[in-house]
Amino acid sequence: MPEIQIPAFRVASRAALGSKTALRSAGISIAALPEGHVIHVLGEAGGPDLAPLLREVTGGRPHAVRTAGPAQWFLVGDEALSAAGVAAILAALPPGAAGVDQSHGRVRIRIEGPMVERVLAKGTAADLAPAAFPVGHSTTTLTGHIAAHLTRVAEDAFELMVLRTFAESLWDDLATMSGEYVLQAADRA
Amino acid sequence: MASLIPCPHCGRRPKEEFTIRGAALERPGPDAGQAAWMDYVYLRDNPRGAYREYWHHTSGCRRWLVVSRNTATHDVTGAEDAAAGKGGKA
Repeated sequence: MPEIQIPAFRVASRAALGSKTALRSAGISIAALPEGHVIHVLGEAGGPDLAPLLREVTGGRPHAVRTAGPAQWFLVGDEALSAAGVAAILAALPPGAAGVDQSHGRVRIRIEGPMVERVLAKGTAADLAPAAFPVGHSTTTLTGHIAAHLTRVAEDAFELMVLRTFAESLWDDLATMSGEYVLQAADRA
Repeated sequence: MASLIPCPHCGRRPKEEFTIRGAALERPGPDAGQAAWMDYVYLRDNPRGAYREYWHHTSGCRRWLVVSRNTATHDVTGAEDAAAGKGGKA
């Protein structure tokens, strides 16, 4: 029986958007956020709003707790957590809530600028007007053909959180959607 | 086809975000007999007018809804969480 040859192939982790250069212009900017942590929290159907308790778990950082449908939340942060760090968060969850570590499964993109609503409106039918979508509001919606979790983190800034394998495709879509505003900025320069 | 669905959890969303399962029918009892189950599994009316269907908000909150719409006018008259309609918790 021939000996099995294992090729000298070193497995290395690669950032999902490591090959993308941040896009910056006066009208719109797109940047990949650090691949920190994302923990999906599921509460009991019809149960109480756990967001206030979850904000205590995340230490009150802004936009760390994001709603993700009825009785579901994402706990989000920029710092990568060790297994012990994730376990500590899961242990601190309120009674009746279950948590799943999604840190390696979801990638975040920040898009900001005065044109941000116009850019996103090309991809989603969710109402992005500040009255309907205030700072801190989150929802899951189609962006083009990709379902992404959308959060307004400032007056003119949103974060999109997307399944890792869709991240590059979503980035390319956002770059295309932003194209006219980037070109206008270049024309004026 | 109706194009904007008033999801009770997400607000008005386009039909592209949803997956349609089909008519929301009363499920027969386990002892209802072969004919009733044959009807329930395979046979569908094709009404002109009011219709109630299961829709899944696949690209949104991922909840099952019961959407009421009119097949003739394309009006959507309502959407509720499927669990709420069965006395469950949404």
